Amino acid sequence: MDIDLKVRLGRLDFRNPVLVASGTFGYAREMADLVDFQQLGGIVPKTVTSASRPGNLPPRTVETPSGLLNAIGLDNDGIDHFLEHHLPYLTSLPTAIIGNVAGKTEDDFVELAQKMGQAKGMAGVELNLSCPNVSGGTDFATDPAITKRIVDRCRAVCPHPLIAKLTPNIANIVPIAKAAADGGADAVSLANTFLGMAVDWRRQKPVLGNITGGLSGPAIKPLVLRIVWQVAKANILPIIAVGGIATLDDVMEFLVTGASAIQIGTANFYDPTASVRIVDGLPAAVASLGAGSVREIVGTLKRQA
Amino acid sequence: MILQRPAVTVENVQLAERTFRIRLEQPEIARSIRPGQFLMLRIPETTDPLLGRPFALYDTVLDSGGEPVGLDVVYLVVGKMTTHLMAVKAGEPIEVWGPLGNGFPKFPNIDQVTCVAGGIGQTPFLAYVRELLGTRGYAGQPAVRQVNKVSLYYGVRSAGFAAGVEDFRQAGCDVRLASDDGTVGTKGFVTQLLAADKPAGPFVGCGPEPMLKALAKLTASWNASCHVSLETPMACGFGACFSCVTPVCTPAGRDYKRVCVEGPVFDAATLAWD
Repeated sequence: MDIDLKVRLGRLDFRNPVLVASGTFGYAREMADLVDFQQLGGIVPKTVTSASRPGNLPPRTVETPSGLLNAIGLDNDGIDHFLEHHLPYLTSLPTAIIGNVAGKTEDDFVELAQKMGQAKGMAGVELNLSCPNVSGGTDFATDPAITKRIVDRCRAVCPHPLIAKLTPNIANIVPIAKAAADGGADAVSLANTFLGMAVDWRRQKPVLGNITGGLSGPAIKPLVLRIVWQVAKANILPIIAVGGIATLDDVMEFLVTGASAIQIGTANFYDPTASVRIVDGLPAAVASLGAGSVREIVGTLKRQA
Repeated sequence: MILQRPAVTVENVQLAERTFRIRLEQPEIARSIRPGQFLMLRIPETTDPLLGRPFALYDTVLDSGGEPVGLDVVYLVVGKMTTHLMAVKAGEPIEVWGPLGNGFPKFPNIDQVTCVAGGIGQTPFLAYVRELLGTRGYAGQPAVRQVNKVSLYYGVRSAGFAAGVEDFRQAGCDVRLASDDGTVGTKGFVTQLLAADKPAGPFVGCGPEPMLKALAKLTASWNASCHVSLETPMACGFGACFSCVTPVCTPAGRDYKRVCVEGPVFDAATLAWD
């Protein structure tokens, strides 16, 4: 069995479609004992911002049925620290590295993209237009004009392929994905977390220090499948699916629905070796559909049940 | 080296009120873990509960040749995960990853170490007592006596919750008990008992945050060294999620540190207790 796992999304080339999602894999060092990086299609390290951010008040996470609600608040030491301390390690790893940035303003995004653009060894940059846990965070990817403008301006200053990570907290994501494509994005990541909340009624208090948080994990998989399907059938640009993907079955569901690649997120926390086991099982699953490559099965969902 | 491995439950027995000890067969992790480090345990084949939960190592289990082959974890049933855990039977699998965290400090050439526990906070100390008294080696290290005496000050809400006291006594530890209702030991908080006795340090504490805060204040007033082992809500246990942070004081002001990788054991003087 010789199954071709390689995928191409715009200017992005991955050895296989299994990436790990920003914010769920640290800066990869944390995972070094657990994951053979060479097996991964790529790594998206934790979001970096211009200045360092302490992050939100704890508690920052709470488990919900089959889900994880988080409000970490982009706890990070800033772009300069990232470039100096984390990037050299990351780019030494035998897999594609996609830097992930979040700006407070449009200009901030451009500055971050420019700095990432000057760094060597990166396969691409993911623009986190959709963090639900910082002020202004979700605003960018709820407005098509702003989404297009940020991607366009980042594209002008950053030679690396760009991925726009969009928010699911919107009635219709298709115009936002179109805007990202119009701005010159190579791909979209669908999607960030769903805004949610947990309450301790006995103490009559919200559970999270930030009050609201972003929901991830198996609970959101059907919601993300619907979003990926909507964008895939509009045939806008290549899709990286992210949301509740934890098993080989999950990966196959997203690929046939129309994602060209996927990111494992929350599962990295509760099953840290999941990504590698999924890659191991992928050739047989692709072959079981009678295909010789991952590319052949992308978007092969039949219209009727 | 952090390993994620399936483990087989050997036994799961009740020690005290709502308190159980689960014994897991997992030689690889048992050979490399040391006192004060922790494990994440997860119920396999379900997504509810979803995440693993952090549990202190109670002690490793040795085979007849003295080789570590298993892991003992003592837990209090408090929520969804521990309710599931309590129902796990011998032969059933548990997903484990570890060893995690930094572990307790080593104290060569010190006369006495005093451990202070509240609630279910006694659990990390048994292996530590054995390491300090040189009756057990961990993580491939030989057993070497480091201190002459180890005391455990242990506070519970009521006598029924005191778990593992005989284990500590058999390990050679001097145990002093306190209880909220006076049904065992001295009536009152364990920190009140400690203040009255004023034993020699250094001190190492584990328990509810108000207790640790009182311990930090008390030991600071004695100018004694104090380390505390913290527990915070944790999603991964290995530093990737940035959930489990605790506020610390740094020269540059307040910052957060991850309890799972920069702890769980911290010098009490570095933590921002307010």
